[in-house]
Amino acid sequence: MNPVAHLKALWSTWRGRFILAFLAVQLVLPLHYYLLRHDPHDERFAWRMFSPMRMSRCSARFSVDKQPVQLGTQFHEAWIEVANRGRYVVLEGMAEKLCTDNPGKPVELSVDCTYLDRPDAHFGHADMCKEPEL
Amino acid sequence: MAKKRKRGGGPRKQGGKPAQASASPKPARTDDDAKLGSDDKPKSQPAKAVEPPDDKPQSRGALRRQAARSDRAARPVSPRGPAPDPIFWFGFEVPWAKLLVARVVVFALLAIDALMQIEHAPRYGAGGFNVAQLPLLDALAPGRILYSAGQLVLAYLFVLVACGALTRYALPIATAIYGWLYFASHLDSYQHHYLVFLILVIACFVPWERPAGATASTPVRSWALRLLYIQLALLYLWAAVSKMNAAWLDGKALSMQMTGTVRSMIDATIGIKGAAWLVLISELVLAATVWNKRTWVIAAPLGVALHAGILATSLDIGLFAWLMLGLYLLVLPDRVFERFARATPREDRTHDGVLLWIALIMAGAVGILLAAISRFDHGFAVGLVAFAAVVVATALLRRRVSVARLAIAHVLAFGVWTAVDRTTKTASDYYRLWGGSAKRLGDPKTSEAAYRRMTEIAPDEEGGHYQLGKLLLERGADDEGIAELHKAQDVGPLKARAYLAEARWLATKGRTEEAIAKAREATIVEPNDQEASALLNSLLPK
Repeated sequence: MNPVAHLKALWSTWRGRFILAFLAVQLVLPLHYYLLRHDPHDERFAWRMFSPMRMSRCSARFSVDKQPVQLGTQFHEAWIEVANRGRYVVLEGMAEKLCTDNPGKPVELSVDCTYLDRPDAHFGHADMCKEPEL
Repeated sequence: MAKKRKRGGGPRKQGGKPAQASASPKPARTDDDAKLGSDDKPKSQPAKAVEPPDDKPQSRGALRRQAARSDRAARPVSPRGPAPDPIFWFGFEVPWAKLLVARVVVFALLAIDALMQIEHAPRYGAGGFNVAQLPLLDALAPGRILYSAGQLVLAYLFVLVACGALTRYALPIATAIYGWLYFASHLDSYQHHYLVFLILVIACFVPWERPAGATASTPVRSWALRLLYIQLALLYLWAAVSKMNAAWLDGKALSMQMTGTVRSMIDATIGIKGAAWLVLISELVLAATVWNKRTWVIAAPLGVALHAGILATSLDIGLFAWLMLGLYLLVLPDRVFERFARATPREDRTHDGVLLWIALIMAGAVGILLAAISRFDHGFAVGLVAFAAVVVATALLRRRVSVARLAIAHVLAFGVWTAVDRTTKTASDYYRLWGGSAKRLGDPKTSEAAYRRMTEIAPDEEGGHYQLGKLLLERGADDEGIAELHKAQDVGPLKARAYLAEARWLATKGRTEEAIAKAREATIVEPNDQEASALLNSLLPK
């Protein structure tokens, strides 16, 4: 059976459409990491087990109204571990919580990361409450 | 795809021996059937062994082909007849024995893994913070109680599936719960848990229950199984792609992740750079071979070696390497299972006789008893709910389920709970981690309750008594606190910290001589503890 006939035959049944959708997702999600994902630290759904990025180490520091935040008293250590892998969405979520808990006060985020396969990086914002996305 | 090589064909009886051509009419032959030659295709129209001419010596290739044809002819016909197009997907078959063994092993491992995840429950909802992997699930994120109860339910359902009981219902429910627990928080973003979720989704479409009258070698047709192999191949392919960079190929990334015995072995043999290349090549080869029956002979030993190697490392990936090894049962050549499993199991009985109901009630009683002695948080409540669900399911589906099988599976499920509970520190770790996080997050009352429960279920663990003792001293319950520290010293005689905590408390009370004696004891039980030496020196008169 040629490939076109193969695909047509697949498309003609719900099982075939399920297979095609499943394969499409398995193609698109990893490709999304390489082509579109804004956060290189977020390797979910890309099958990048034991990748060099997994070996990156970040140090995330928050301050509220210029006062450093003891993250261990605000967040479970498992979240701090994820934050120290530099995952943007978690850092943004932590900043959002600090903004909610401290209305009207600026929440600064400063992250330094070291990588195996690229130069060290620094990112963050002076006030995550006004600029919530990294 | 199907080969167009012309092969002989003819009817045969299920069970092995080719039928005489004259004994039954030849079934209609379709174009698809004509393509069924390779090992990847269903055997709905098996090849007929062709007798070679007597006057010509046979080549080794011809002998091999003839042997393969005979082998195929000896296998039973698929009970489902010719497969629809595309045969690659809809004609994929494995022997029933293989599916059975894989079902038992994989789902039993998943059940154990689910129970071992319970210790992580305290991080869910801690501090009122969560970030969901899927934003839709932010509002539905599980807290500590729902997470641990969810894992208990998962373990229960996985055992039912492993036993082949209610698989059509238990598996989709388990998949939904697993997906909810996984996608509702970034706390679990392990890629192997994502793989388990995908496998569960696919597994919902695999016919895990024994087809009527099936023997060990009866082929079971499943497009979902083919998809599972393809999923594994895609995983290996993308994993290899992620390693095609200098940081991996020069061994740096692997070097940072390999420690212990395996690292020593690598260093003494091929070196870390060689190992990095070997892993990449292995993944590429597996991507190319794991989905194709004809190349399983390559994929099976390579995959088993790769995952056994991962198992030997100190990587914190739980039972994942074991699970992958379990999945490789599906990659072993079919003939392995056909040879080892010849017995024909008895048919299940699905009637609802009084005896079977009595058996179910007895199983329920045993289950409730085991749930009651379980040390898992809310284990008893989950056990009661599970029993009620089984009774309802049996009443509703009594013509479609084997009550006896369900009763056995129910008892086994709680047996697995009990085995994991009593042979691991999962339950006490749950309370230890809960107590620790509550303390750090400024909730000493909850922390005290957690450590108190830990001391109840694990009185021989030093940690619970030590932490509880410290908390009690902090809130002024001195007598009880000191008593807990003494218990910690009794059960952990080689740990200095309980002695140190008592010495510090004595010092704050002005009982310097007693504090010095206790600090001295600390230096004796742990001579290398710098904190103990420092405290003793600070207490001694200058």
